[in-house]
Amino acid sequence: MTADRTRTVAIVAALAVAVAAPFVLPTYLVTLLSLVFIAALLASSIDLLAGQGGLLSIGHAGIAASAAYAIAWGTTESLALPIQLGLALVVTLVVSAVYALTTMRTRGIVFLMITLALGIVVYGLALKLSTITGGQNGLTGIDRPEVLASSSAFYLLTVAAFVLAVVFRAVLARSSFGLVLRGIRESESRMSSLGYSVTRAKFLAVMLSGLLAGLAGVLIVWQAEFISPNVASFNRSAMAVVMVILGGTGTLLGPLIGAGVVVGTEHWLSSYVERWPTLLGLVFIAVVLFAPGGVVGAFSRWRHGAVRDRQHAEPGTRAALPSLLEDQGLAGGVDGRPSEPQ
Amino acid sequence: MSLEFLALQVLNGLTFAALLFLVASGFTLVFGVMRIVNLAHGALYLLGGAIGISVAAVTGSWVLGVVAAGISVGLVGLFSERLLLHRVRGRELPEVLLTVGIALVIADLILAVFGGNPRSADPPPPLVGGTPVGPVTYPTYRLFVIGFAIAVGVILFVVQQRTRIGAVLRAGVDDREMVSAMGIDVDRVFAGMFLVGSVLAGTAGMIAAGLLTIRPGADTEILLFALVVVIVGGLGSIGGAALGSVLIGLIDAFSRVWLPELSYFAVFAPMAIILVLRPAGLFGKSTS
Repeated sequence: MTADRTRTVAIVAALAVAVAAPFVLPTYLVTLLSLVFIAALLASSIDLLAGQGGLLSIGHAGIAASAAYAIAWGTTESLALPIQLGLALVVTLVVSAVYALTTMRTRGIVFLMITLALGIVVYGLALKLSTITGGQNGLTGIDRPEVLASSSAFYLLTVAAFVLAVVFRAVLARSSFGLVLRGIRESESRMSSLGYSVTRAKFLAVMLSGLLAGLAGVLIVWQAEFISPNVASFNRSAMAVVMVILGGTGTLLGPLIGAGVVVGTEHWLSSYVERWPTLLGLVFIAVVLFAPGGVVGAFSRWRHGAVRDRQHAEPGTRAALPSLLEDQGLAGGVDGRPSEPQ
Repeated sequence: MSLEFLALQVLNGLTFAALLFLVASGFTLVFGVMRIVNLAHGALYLLGGAIGISVAAVTGSWVLGVVAAGISVGLVGLFSERLLLHRVRGRELPEVLLTVGIALVIADLILAVFGGNPRSADPPPPLVGGTPVGPVTYPTYRLFVIGFAIAVGVILFVVQQRTRIGAVLRAGVDDREMVSAMGIDVDRVFAGMFLVGSVLAGTAGMIAAGLLTIRPGADTEILLFALVVVIVGGLGSIGGAALGSVLIGLIDAFSRVWLPELSYFAVFAPMAIILVLRPAGLFGKSTS
């Protein structure tokens, strides 16, 4: 009971701090924080698949970029906002469906490779379809809607979007669909012999994850008020995966912590350390080798010793520890070959 | 469509295919034996190009550049395997993620040491100029690249099919546990395999420096093509890599001319079709 109350108080306090931040902090910090929340949203979309289904996508920037380009193109064609958003939704669904259809029969390493290839294809299209995307130069002058013009209003939207993603993932983790996904992560053959359609569940999971990535894409273009193929680049996808792993897979707040570390390094530490990508790469390597549960994993393991809170574990989030990286079974069968659900 | 145009596009496609094969063969060998999707393969390629160009510029010898690229990148790969990948052996996701980290570090260090400007290497004097091929005159260096890739392919194939080492490798692909139960030091085989894959990536980088530019970003581009080639051809198969390279090389050459805005898409389409129809690739072994 008290633990529950502490939790509620902590959540309310965290939300209050997040909402109060723009009224206290200088503008550049507010902008930086909105970058963190947007990055955390994209990382959350990846962790939805990785934490629940054991499917690690390294091409999700492609989905986000597609939605972002839809908004950017809609703005240059001066379409009304609802039409722009509708267009972004349709593009997100179509691109996610391509991701889902090509990956739904795979898992582990093959899933990762195909999402990687798809991500780079989106990058290529952004670069080459210059009549729509503006090619290398991208599209400029994309003002975000007037209500969101101030950096604090926009910041609050990014907080709301991230909270929405957290709630969405928590609900999903508690749902029977979440259970099916975790079942697939543990053993595909068992789930399909129990009569579940593994292929269909994966298709749906990628679509749901794609929706979050698309939302992140809309925020990305509104944040920058500019778009170039860089948004779809392999580096963006890889950085999002780095965030997920640093924070800890299968956790609700891991993506936020990972995003904080990466965005902080990129925008703050970079003014002191010129070779920050090397530093980030080394930290990432160290986490993969020595702290496979990420920051949240290490923290909850430490806390687990102090407080017995196993009964309060959220289904599917806490249960996902030991993390994706410690989990031997998920990575594409015993010998790692692509295997199909029968 | 004239015969000259056709011949030229076919040769362009084959040149690109040759380069793709050099990159993809190392990638697919490492995957076949070690089950590692080496996402640092593109960065190793870039490193080979960067080192090779500098060595060739300093020594004035293109051959030395190629040799230096192969050896230095091979060593980088060997160290990465011994120091890092070795620790998470057999756990595929940590292995892939480590290669992502390695790629980040290598790409950033290349930028630090060699700068961000696009660079390329002039081919050695005997390979400058053109050689008549049927109805067209084609750059000699490009013909050399095709020949070089064929030679590498033949060597890899013969080693894989006709030697004791090749037998161990093939056995390792089929049943890793049995191979180690027979008393073969799988650890050494893996280290050697990663070394060979890295040498191929590094050499390909320097070979590519005579055709394309070596610049930041070229690493992920070539990685995409290597991925598509091995997904089309089947993971772990040298023959599949050869066939996949030729297919993708030719599609790329013709789509650049006919559908310039969709050239990436044209390369990607066969991959999608093959994934849906034959998820293990054209030459891949199905496990079901």
